[in-house]
Amino acid sequence: MATTAVETVRLTIDGVPVTVPKGTLVIEAARQTGVMIPHFCYHPKLKWDANCRMCLVEIEKMPKLQTSCSTPVAEGMVVRTATAVVNEAHKSVLEFILANHPLDCPVCDQGGRCDLQDFSHEYTPTTSRFIEVKRVFEKEYFSPLIETQMNRCVQCLRCVRYCDEVMDVKALAPVGRGTMTEIKHFTHHELDCEFCGGCVQICPVGAFTSRLSMYEFRPWMLKRADTICTYCGDGCQITIQTKENELIEVMSAHGAGRNNGDLCARGFFGYHATTHPDRLQHPLIRRNGQLIQTTWEEALEHVAETFTRLKLQHGPAAFGGLIASRCTNEDLYVFQKFMRLAIGSNRIDSSARYGHINGVRALRRVQGTHRWTVTFEDIVSADALLLVGTSLTETNPITGLKVKEAVKKQGAILLTIESLVPAVGTISNITNLATHHVSAHPEQFGNIVLGLIKAVIEEGLVDQALAQRATSYVQAISEAVRACPWPVIENATGATSSTLKETARTFARAARTIILVGQGVLRAPGGYGIVMNLLDLLLLTGKHDQPGCGLAPLAEENNDQGAVEMGTVAEFLPGPSDLNDRPARERIAGLWKEELPQGAGSTLIKMLEEARTGKIKAMLIVGENPVGSLPTGARAKEALEQLEFLVCQELFLTETAALAHVVLPACSYAEKDGTVTNTEGHVQQVRQAIEPIGESRPDWQILSALSGLLGYPLEYGESREILKEIRSLIPGYGLLGPAPTPPRPDQTVVDRYLREGYTEDLASRYSLAGEGQAERGSRKEGSFALVVGQTLFHSGKLSTRAKGLLQIQAAGFLGLNPANAQEIGVTEGDRVRISNEQGEMTTTVKLLDRVPEGLALFPEHFAEDRLTDQRR
Amino acid sequence: MKFKAWLKTIIFYEILIGMKATLMHLLHYKPITLQYPHEKRILPDSYRGMLALLRYDDGTEKCVGCDLCEAACPSRVIKVISAEVPDEPTKRFAKEYYMDMTRCLFCGLCVQACPVDALGMTREYEWAVYDKRQLLLNKGQLLAIGDRSYPVREKRLELQHPNVAFFNVAFKHLPPKES
Repeated sequence: MATTAVETVRLTIDGVPVTVPKGTLVIEAARQTGVMIPHFCYHPKLKWDANCRMCLVEIEKMPKLQTSCSTPVAEGMVVRTATAVVNEAHKSVLEFILANHPLDCPVCDQGGRCDLQDFSHEYTPTTSRFIEVKRVFEKEYFSPLIETQMNRCVQCLRCVRYCDEVMDVKALAPVGRGTMTEIKHFTHHELDCEFCGGCVQICPVGAFTSRLSMYEFRPWMLKRADTICTYCGDGCQITIQTKENELIEVMSAHGAGRNNGDLCARGFFGYHATTHPDRLQHPLIRRNGQLIQTTWEEALEHVAETFTRLKLQHGPAAFGGLIASRCTNEDLYVFQKFMRLAIGSNRIDSSARYGHINGVRALRRVQGTHRWTVTFEDIVSADALLLVGTSLTETNPITGLKVKEAVKKQGAILLTIESLVPAVGTISNITNLATHHVSAHPEQFGNIVLGLIKAVIEEGLVDQALAQRATSYVQAISEAVRACPWPVIENATGATSSTLKETARTFARAARTIILVGQGVLRAPGGYGIVMNLLDLLLLTGKHDQPGCGLAPLAEENNDQGAVEMGTVAEFLPGPSDLNDRPARERIAGLWKEELPQGAGSTLIKMLEEARTGKIKAMLIVGENPVGSLPTGARAKEALEQLEFLVCQELFLTETAALAHVVLPACSYAEKDGTVTNTEGHVQQVRQAIEPIGESRPDWQILSALSGLLGYPLEYGESREILKEIRSLIPGYGLLGPAPTPPRPDQTVVDRYLREGYTEDLASRYSLAGEGQAERGSRKEGSFALVVGQTLFHSGKLSTRAKGLLQIQAAGFLGLNPANAQEIGVTEGDRVRISNEQGEMTTTVKLLDRVPEGLALFPEHFAEDRLTDQRR
Repeated sequence: MKFKAWLKTIIFYEILIGMKATLMHLLHYKPITLQYPHEKRILPDSYRGMLALLRYDDGTEKCVGCDLCEAACPSRVIKVISAEVPDEPTKRFAKEYYMDMTRCLFCGLCVQACPVDALGMTREYEWAVYDKRQLLLNKGQLLAIGDRSYPVREKRLELQHPNVAFFNVAFKHLPPKES
């Protein structure tokens, strides 16, 4: 199918001949010739509905006017879009719409960018023949973030169709008939949905507007900056609109970026986090135990002096560096260069350590790539998708949309191994779309993957070519899985062997398969092994080198991928190349004109341990908050308190920054230029939207200034110069274009892995995890396995400063299955005290059908706040 | 014919025509200069003087903060900061309204642009000041000018007026926008 040329059709539009692929709609063909046919209900993302009747055109040999949004082109068609008859039709349609549309444009936030306004200016007479009173709907409260004004609605139903077709949420529905049709949500209480803002963006008039920016602007006042959202690894392009250095709203144009104009609640409503009043505006320095405001000169000189002194006393190995992978590539690159040259220490790590590094290491080991071998387009056109521990909608909502599109529009088969169970809810649940779902306890992902591999081998689904090429490899794995008997797997995971076999069969049979691995696996202890096993699964079924097949670890933070590639993790140099890779070291040293430091790197956890034992004396922490985000925050705090000198570059005075000796105010993504690399390895441009808040500076500028004071000047004029240097060092950063070509698996690496690479940890990877533990279901009365995860409305701790997101979700909760809740006698909204070995706290119960029995879901974003509240 | 032209030349006929009005006034002398502070001209009906913000008969401000005057102004005199009326959810108004009268051309485009006739041009012109900053007027000052220049106020429009449906309407059962 793919090899045959696309059939084309020739037609004439307004006298201009045009050739388009067969099946194109007339409205799209006209757009190609530069003719804009007015329309309300048509949108390229949605199935046509032809209900607004605005796009009527005259087609020769057809007796009546046709709606161009629903008419496919035909050979030799002659279309006229601007005849007297057509204009008369436009006039009539608009006259009907304006019979009811209130003339409140001056107070409508859509005024100035409203389709109805534009078409009215173009097509209508200024008078109306209607003398009747306009229709008035009773005003209903919709939601804290989305304002509806149903009197303005033109009933095109774009919002309803978007909510269903694209988001799969189905929160909106038309109610009533004819002109009295009104868009409502299903429930009597206020709107409870994903808050993706899609209805606001897609509404052609002002029926849906954002309450967050209500009445703050007029469209012509806004300045735009196309930049990249920093809340998750999907790397959505957003357009930040500002008025006099104030963030007003965020939108994403259709066709923009990797997200194609779709956003989630975090992207659409979460932009106020960076301009929160608590932002650090001046450098702070610790005097007599107190952090007090100081000048940049004093702060930087103090840091430089202390660093020099400590370096002389304890040597460069006594320094450690941590950076958040939310920073741009430029920040990350300058940071590691600063640590390696100006300080001379390899003890560098970033928040990619929490999970993403496991995926990258596995990919490098098995197939020699450090990026996905697939793209979002491949996900959409896949035949089968296997999701393992993703909670896709919550962590990577836009990748979730690609999966939804693949399943709903392209008919892909979805296989899920998730800790949540299918259940209808107000937030879309990816497992609802699955053909085969295996519900797994979060600790059991590894065992289920093991079961899948066992099923592949027992069902004879192993690729024949591979079996011949790498006999010993297949043999070794067969033996390893034979040692895990079905009853034990079934008992541990709760999944039956027949389900796993059926899943394995479906997976192996599909031609184009992609495995998406989420944080549930990557962050788990042994996550690296599970990803390795999933790669084995791909190899065994002979799919790893097939086009459109591959394993895709999902990045949680926006630049996890960039952090690894810039070499800001313990084991890698920029590239990424291994720390001990001699040719790479020489190449980098040649470019930097400076020798690279010897000595091993330290991971985040090890670094904290070394700080506790006094091996590390000073740390530089950029944007990372181990005290707040590590599950063992108290221990991290203890470790950091041991440090002789701690410097933090931060947006806010976080728990970690509060321990620092010097805090330097840094710029957020809205205030600087740079690039970030999204989860699929696409390098995208971040552009400055507003001036830096207070005296804050971009991270790389701070490091650059500091390096000068330390005697190793890393001088850059602007972020572009850093990118230029990165480009000369790391392949793939020359591409800032629209479609990156994903790397192919390196066949020599794959061969080496099949020959001998698999042996070293085969035994540990192929043993059942948690064997001998208490049986599933035998939990103690009233105790639950706590799953600390992400919710759709927040990302890390940063988003809890965004006033928009706080209006959707202001506090943490404990998600419980209704059946469990009934057992222990609590209901929605009850305050409960939960405790485990590490401590206790109180929170509110939320009943969620999607939480399986025996589990309790707790969002990670609010834990600290609640605990402090309790102490008061 | 030739004689006639010659005659006109020697008696400076064209100049006499041109000076006709002057010569007439020379004969019937009556002073036309006004002794300004003591005497004032009668202004024409369409006189465009100082700008003012107006109110409805019930004392509420007419302005809905739509920013159209700001958009229409050719010399960037006006600055509007609009917001939701406190305690009146979904109703829009100008929280702050500034006019930099040093720049104003008195072209009246803002008055034409206003959809609710909230702006008016008064017949005030005595606005000479010693300090330019006194010509940067805020909403209170502009309303005060309106109050003294337009003692007769327009009746507040009904909700269902065909042109202004849903202007100036608050929905008290809705929570206000959170700031």
